[in-house]
Amino acid sequence: MKTVIIGLGNPILTDDGVGIKVSRMLKDRLNRNIGIDVKEVYAGGIRLMDEMIGYEKVVVIDAMVTGEAAPGTIRQMSLSDAIMTKNIVSTHDTNLPTAIEMGRTLGLQLPAEIKLWGIEAEDTETFGEDLTDKVADAVQPLVEKILEDCKDVIPACRESFRDPSLAKRG
Amino acid sequence: MKRITIDPITRLEGHGKIEIFLDENGDVKNTYFQIPELRGFEQFCVGRLAEEMPVITNRICGVCPEAHHLASVKALDKLFGVDPPPAAKKIRELLYSSFYVTDHTTHFYALAGPDFIVGPDAPPSERNILGVIKKVGLDIGRQVIDCRARNHHVIKMLGGRGIHPAAGLPGGWSKPVSEEERREIEDIARKNIAFALFTLKAFDDIVLKNKGYLDLITSDIYLHKTYYMGTVDDKNRVNFYDGMIRVVDPEGNELIKYSPEKYMEHIAEHVEPWTYLKFPYLKKIGWKGFVDGKESGVYTATPLSRLNVSDSMATPKAQEHFERMYETFGCKRIKGRYQPIHHRLATHWARLIELLYAAERMLELAVDPEITSPDVREIPKKIKGVGIGSVEAPRGTLTHHYESDKNGVLKKVNLIVGTTNNYAPITMSIKKAADKLIKSGKVIEEGLLNKIEMAFRLYDPCFSCATHSIPGKMPLIITIKNVDGEVIRTFKRDG
Repeated sequence: MKTVIIGLGNPILTDDGVGIKVSRMLKDRLNRNIGIDVKEVYAGGIRLMDEMIGYEKVVVIDAMVTGEAAPGTIRQMSLSDAIMTKNIVSTHDTNLPTAIEMGRTLGLQLPAEIKLWGIEAEDTETFGEDLTDKVADAVQPLVEKILEDCKDVIPACRESFRDPSLAKRG
Repeated sequence: MKRITIDPITRLEGHGKIEIFLDENGDVKNTYFQIPELRGFEQFCVGRLAEEMPVITNRICGVCPEAHHLASVKALDKLFGVDPPPAAKKIRELLYSSFYVTDHTTHFYALAGPDFIVGPDAPPSERNILGVIKKVGLDIGRQVIDCRARNHHVIKMLGGRGIHPAAGLPGGWSKPVSEEERREIEDIARKNIAFALFTLKAFDDIVLKNKGYLDLITSDIYLHKTYYMGTVDDKNRVNFYDGMIRVVDPEGNELIKYSPEKYMEHIAEHVEPWTYLKFPYLKKIGWKGFVDGKESGVYTATPLSRLNVSDSMATPKAQEHFERMYETFGCKRIKGRYQPIHHRLATHWARLIELLYAAERMLELAVDPEITSPDVREIPKKIKGVGIGSVEAPRGTLTHHYESDKNGVLKKVNLIVGTTNNYAPITMSIKKAADKLIKSGKVIEEGLLNKIEMAFRLYDPCFSCATHSIPGKMPLIITIKNVDGEVIRTFKRDG
């Protein structure tokens, strides 16, 4: 299954960039040859949808600001879930579900499976390259969850991405 | 005092809201459009090398990184005292024209279009780009997607990277354009022109020929008479990439024309206690509050403003449409220039004329013999220490101002972003819309959300860089509170 992992957010806006940080770590861990693409995107709506064209499965990682969960809380959701993460809406066009529906209406090849991972952010309003502590602590556990989640995609490579040392050799 | 709050869903953003205060008679007394502040950008930049700025500033915003990238490299040209070779300037403008085509296309079909094509009173769930496509047909939807895709391809080809270009350098551009690339871009530019003409025709058929819509555009609900700002070339024509900043008064007389480097002599910022974001105004006139007219220093910087300050368009087809728009509004020419249009919904029309201009300009540059010149860089040899650069971002004049020490390490950074210019006019437009919808305590509930949204949507606001993402289109909650602050009514719409 052609899969893409998309880290979403602004890499210089403190916790807003947590999705980017997770995707970078995943990129390090995933063997380049196993057929999972990893992208960094700072755009919602249609531009985000553009990045999904041609894939069968997509995993999106983004900061969320629900105000209801403790910073660092990880939540897995589907596109139709009421709680949306922070960057999937573009202020300049539309939200992701509408963009996806539009793409499908137009016959674009879009993934049947779209998984969203949200990490509750503490600060998304201060410029900075580092995450706040609790959010930083959530990065590694989420990387493991996503790797586990993707293991069905390329079973043959399972071992290589479970063990970081093997991945590096690849 | 009664309070009405329009709040973007708090679980998404946590801030950013419109508050409407009523007086004792139940009429609108004041409206406040509040936006959260993004903190610490200057601190983030100070201490870094100035040449990092084009790739840092294009990360401020996911909507117009191309505008920041170019304003930034232009500021660096000045800071390092270099004048890029002509081919480099042309490549920059070529990329920028392509960006304008995608940006204005997206705004029209995804944001402005739904109000007119699907209708301002249609259910919100249908009033989006999907509703537009269902109405105008799948083929046009595909054209919109194709238009975006081919121009993103050009931006990536020229800019070295998609979404966040990286090829701009002080003194020029990092790589020349090959003949093969040039041919491809020429072909894309021709397609863009056809698409822009088609879009203007659709606007004509669907909007202008519909009396209801034309009445809405020419009604006074969205009318404001302010000063206008935009960049003009040496013949006082619209230019997005370079030129002088021209400001005209509400009657169309030129107030000032200045080099972007002199912005501090002409623009000051007003502070209000209820918001972190500042309100720029014209120094020469002064801040008189959120009021229209020649005595008020409030100015607007939008596509309509750019056309209002210009004598003409620099390309032939755009010029035809430019004349047609001003003639439609009955504007007379004074000293070779049309009187300004003050009906703000005409901004959507102006945006499409700019779309056509961008496409035509792209073709001009693509067939320019110099565009493939290998001479694209003048290597900086000194550090002057101060650099100010500006471009016209799709949503207003964008200025970057850097100061460095003798080693090129940044000491000071100031940005005036496109949308910030329009903060006062947006606030005024929201108030006017609210005035019409709330009388003697009676709230016209039908369409309240959308009519107020239409007031700020026409500015194509993007606060991702002014502060953070405030809705051009996003879920909204309106809360109406009574005199004791109790919520008596809530409207909710999901994006």
